[in-house]
Amino acid sequence: MTEHIKIPLERIAVLVGPKGSTKELIEEKSTAMLNIDSQDGDVEIMDPKDPIKGMRAKEVIHAIARGFSPEKALKLFDDDLLIFETIDLSNIARTEKDLQRIKGRVIGKAGKTREIFENLTNSRISVYGKTICLIGYPEQNAVARAGIDMLLEGSTHGPVYNFLEKKKSELRLKMI
Amino acid sequence: MATEKWGVAHIFSSFNNTLITITDLTGAETIAKISGGMVTKAAREESSPYTAMQMASQIADKIRDKGVTGIHIKVRAPGGNRQRSPGPGAQASIRAFARAGIKIGRIEDVTPIPHDGTKAKKGRRV
Repeated sequence: MTEHIKIPLERIAVLVGPKGSTKELIEEKSTAMLNIDSQDGDVEIMDPKDPIKGMRAKEVIHAIARGFSPEKALKLFDDDLLIFETIDLSNIARTEKDLQRIKGRVIGKAGKTREIFENLTNSRISVYGKTICLIGYPEQNAVARAGIDMLLEGSTHGPVYNFLEKKKSELRLKMI
Repeated sequence: MATEKWGVAHIFSSFNNTLITITDLTGAETIAKISGGMVTKAAREESSPYTAMQMASQIADKIRDKGVTGIHIKVRAPGGNRQRSPGPGAQASIRAFARAGIKIGRIEDVTPIPHDGTKAKKGRRV
């Protein structure tokens, strides 16, 4: 059984890693074979011995393709409860310039907003191309997603930070 | 058990609910089905991964009684002009099936993808 994924050309190098180390690591953890076409960005996941891990491998490759570093993406293998989510911006941004502006608002000056999101919700965020991607536990992702939605709808940063701060203490209460 | 009997688990996972239907290999005969509301009372928990886990383990017991030892899995998100990626329940339920001792065959994504279909709902389009 093979799965096909198309990834951006510039992310192929990241997926393969230095001397193919990242690729090997993914193959080892997913019990599948990876076939990467570096000309057109086609990735094949072939014959996973464990179908669940094969499915996970697909997510890991998607995460790397959407801008996550291999270290962050590979956490998906180690922790079963982590979830990978994408928010598509292509329908929200009206023009190329609008897309640029929206991405800028989510990232913040020198990555400040993104950092605050990551610290308060504990999920990892990647803004790349026309997507925003999240890796985290479902409750954390739900909070991060709500916060990002607020930003996308035009809310200023202050209230969003307050919202995250409030949710953070709620999440902590739930943990206990 | 001498003979292996396989079925298909259709898992529909949206942001508001998770539905699991187990059928025979043809897909025409339903063996068992379960939805989020049958496990939890709170509407907002219908789609949560914990609910999905409980659903999967309950339904695993049911199908084991009926002699099904392995399942192929078809995961589906709402698709069409709504979101294409399965909700939080999908993975959790697959894992719970495996943990309940049901053999997992092939996993397939059967989300309906439009070849450019109808107009999306108004407002924010995700």
